[in-house]
Amino acid sequence: MKKSSIFGIIVIAIAIAVIISTYGSSSTYGSFTEAKQSQSDLHVIGYLDKQKELYYDAHKDANYFSFYMKDKKGTESKVVFTGTKPQDFERSEQIVLVGRMVGNEFHASHIQMKCPSKYTQDKVEVTEADAKQGSI
Amino acid sequence: MSFPLGQLLFFLTVCSVVFTVICYYLGNKKPDSNNIKWLKRFNISFYITTAIVLIFCYVLFYGIKASATPTVVYLGENLTPKNLGQFFIILAFASALFSTISYFLATIKTNQFELKWLWMGRIGYFVNSISVVGIGTCLFYIIYNHLFEYHYAWEHSSRTLPVYYIISSFWEGQEGSFWLWGFWQAVLGNILIWKAKSWEKPVLTVIALAQTLLSSMLLGIDIFGQRIGSSPFILLREALEAPIFSRPEYLSFIKDGNGLNPLLQNYWMVIHPPTLFLGFASMVVPFAYAIAGLWTKRYKEWVQPAISYSLFAVMVLGTGVIMGSLWAYESLNFGGFWAWDPVENAALIPWLTLIGAVHVLIVYKNTGHSYFTATFLTLISFILVLYASFLTRSGILGDTSVHAFTDLGMFWHLVIDVAIFFGIALALIILRWKELPISKKEEETYSREFWMFVGAVFLALSCLQLIVVTSIPVWNAMFKTHIAPPTNPVTLYNVFQAGFAVVVTLLAGITQFLKYKKTDTTRFFITSVIYLVFSAVITGLIVYITGLYHLRFVFVLVMFGAIYSLMANAKVLADVFKGKIKLAGSAVAHIGFGLIMVGALIAAGTSKVISQNDTLEYGADFAKGNNPHENIMLYKNEPQKMGDYMVTYFGDSVKAPNHYFKVDYKRLDANGKVVEEFTLKPNSQANRKMGLVSSPDTKHYLFHDLYTHVSMAPIKYDDEMQGDAGHGEENDDANYNPPVPHEVKVGDTIPFREGYIILQSLNKEAHVQNIPMGANDVAVGAELKIISHGKTYDAEPVFMVKNGSVFDFARKVDDAGLKLRLSKIIPDKSKVEITVYDQPESKKAYIVMRAIEFPYINFLWTGTIIMVIGFLLSIFRRNKELKSA
Repeated sequence: MKKSSIFGIIVIAIAIAVIISTYGSSSTYGSFTEAKQSQSDLHVIGYLDKQKELYYDAHKDANYFSFYMKDKKGTESKVVFTGTKPQDFERSEQIVLVGRMVGNEFHASHIQMKCPSKYTQDKVEVTEADAKQGSI
Repeated sequence: MSFPLGQLLFFLTVCSVVFTVICYYLGNKKPDSNNIKWLKRFNISFYITTAIVLIFCYVLFYGIKASATPTVVYLGENLTPKNLGQFFIILAFASALFSTISYFLATIKTNQFELKWLWMGRIGYFVNSISVVGIGTCLFYIIYNHLFEYHYAWEHSSRTLPVYYIISSFWEGQEGSFWLWGFWQAVLGNILIWKAKSWEKPVLTVIALAQTLLSSMLLGIDIFGQRIGSSPFILLREALEAPIFSRPEYLSFIKDGNGLNPLLQNYWMVIHPPTLFLGFASMVVPFAYAIAGLWTKRYKEWVQPAISYSLFAVMVLGTGVIMGSLWAYESLNFGGFWAWDPVENAALIPWLTLIGAVHVLIVYKNTGHSYFTATFLTLISFILVLYASFLTRSGILGDTSVHAFTDLGMFWHLVIDVAIFFGIALALIILRWKELPISKKEEETYSREFWMFVGAVFLALSCLQLIVVTSIPVWNAMFKTHIAPPTNPVTLYNVFQAGFAVVVTLLAGITQFLKYKKTDTTRFFITSVIYLVFSAVITGLIVYITGLYHLRFVFVLVMFGAIYSLMANAKVLADVFKGKIKLAGSAVAHIGFGLIMVGALIAAGTSKVISQNDTLEYGADFAKGNNPHENIMLYKNEPQKMGDYMVTYFGDSVKAPNHYFKVDYKRLDANGKVVEEFTLKPNSQANRKMGLVSSPDTKHYLFHDLYTHVSMAPIKYDDEMQGDAGHGEENDDANYNPPVPHEVKVGDTIPFREGYIILQSLNKEAHVQNIPMGANDVAVGAELKIISHGKTYDAEPVFMVKNGSVFDFARKVDDAGLKLRLSKIIPDKSKVEITVYDQPESKKAYIVMRAIEFPYINFLWTGTIIMVIGFLLSIFRRNKELKSA
């Protein structure tokens, strides 16, 4: 076989591996119920329950923030985030969490929230927070 | 303008276009006596068509403006820059289109008006350049003079903004950044008109086409109900809908603009976008040469000039990307310099492919191999620039990036932009496929060209991985799926990119020991193996010292590759001094790249959060889940141990809109002696729009950095900062613990939770500001010295008898969390009563902060500078070759 053909096959193999791995590593959007059954991290989209307490007390623990969220199917769960409370969290319209269920609490490693813009009508602003510094 | 006129003009436009095309067709059909006649008719009708189109556009724009303007006459608006600017926008678009067509006709040598068309093309391009400058001037005038009737000025600037940040607000919005891109493309086009010689016609056809499409992004006109482009000259009342805009004097209510995003108020934001966009803009030049080469069948000649321009493009784009990461490192709080955000990837993707292209272009020039790969990578790089602008500007990224531009409804416009250039490139490759000088012979295994080719392909593969993952929202839109991005994208990118980096860095070393065509195998094996062993030893040492072995093995391999390419290129550089001066550029650039890899790898891989908080309120269960506790709480003036340091938050300084927190760092040795002391001032802005926006402060050492940022602090909003001292006293006592009275003599000490107070003396002649004292009035001040956490403060509460009534004036020592009253004087015991209010912990000033140590990050920045020098040397070398050729 020619050298270039061998190299071509290697390149195609790597390209396919890249695509498959992307699909494999991609996550799913799920609900709290699915999160309970799942062992791995997943994305949960939902809304903040504004009736229940948002708990963050820097004096007790600067790295503990908890709140209650309803997912799109209406299931509610307590969510714990190890970090500071993101600014304007109360105003959020929609929240995307990345994390997993631990007991009855959902431990989020990443929070992204959409807030209505204070200045421009019909516009939302998106902000996010991570519990952990990105590392390699 | 009435509607029938618009219809008439449209009709005229269509007719004249049809007539022009017919003339052109007849003029070129077959050589007979009528030929010249038709060509002349074509010529004239072309000018007329252009004029009609221009008028059509302008009337259309004014027609819309006229119909949109209600009967209200608004006061105080300055509409001159709008009219002028909008005129320039339309002129820019029309002249670029005119230039494209003229250059196109000049390139296809079918008539004798070739030279005339060339000049028409040039004039069109000059007019476009002048219009682009005109647009910029109008926009700058608007922002600089705070004309908030314009949406752009209102959205992106404010009166308090210093002049140098007005420049950054200029390109904060999409329109401004499109302008910046168009400006650089205009500059590059003019340079090419001057320099490109025989290449001018086809190359400028492509560049003028790119300029036409860029100008169309700014048009902002409605044609048949479809908004084309987005103009920076939209008025506030046109952009937003609110009842206020029905009032003629609405402008008098708009006092100030929205202001510039606090994160962009950084000096890097003045210089980073122009560099980045010069990089993007210069990517069109190699693309244009490749198209020109295929189009005019000068298959081999385009490569040489394309090498120089590609080197320029990768140099500038690379610098721009690194500037962006320096900005992120210095002013963002994600704690690092690279986060694989889609916006970052969008700039990196075309850079990687063009780097690959440069290498195979050189291979083709030297050996005649890899022609297709070189052409493909050159073409795809520019298409990927356009794809990147589609990703970041169309709003398709949606939830996956918080940094992308907002959607301006230009989705299909951007898609068409990508499709046009992709179509042209694809069509030309297919049309010319059989004529392409693709070598039938295989490269030798032990030849430089083969392994450079392999390296370029691996760069393209790493780029493929970035594209596939970053484009997940695009796949969702195309295939109607609902896939979420990876839960830990950073790790995914890091592992994959590291894998490709191992191959690329190793090849960057090995190819230096190989020669073009054929290499002496024995010698190659001996040198490369010696260097491999040598590098392995050094890598082992570095990995051991920095603790890199804690990471995945692939990162150790990247380190090995980077060291190997450093070593091999250092050897080449050493040979340069023996006379092979030509090779200096490539060696220096590769050394720079190696250093970037080493610096990035150690800094990102072994960065350490030193503000790790180990006091766990919520028990071991919570800690077990590998939950990070990266934030530390600091009460004011209470030192706390953090890693090797003793840190104290000891003060604030406010320079609106920024609130600086002074944090003292003391490094102690084993005996508790202070070895080093310094102050860092991270700052925050409590911005109504953005929330708490923090910027870090970093202590730079030669071999590591100490990065500190505030993640939370109870501070005031920036618009509340002024003039509130001394108010809200009524319920002030609620902020303190119940008061404790102490009866003391002069010289006595009063203990409190965080220190003690000494009554030094009584001042019989105390007076209180603004209160005149009568003959029978008495005022006594207690001169107190407060010692708390090693700091000393003074306070003098006053007791007063005025007109027979008793008052006392409390004094606060905020830094010690105290309020002190001289509440009673007991003459018979020669004692006084001092009432002490101390603050409970929860009311005391505090900050929550995070500190990270980045080792060896300076290698990253140094490497960048060295790489740029290497690129410059290479450009000089290639230009010399171009002249001698």
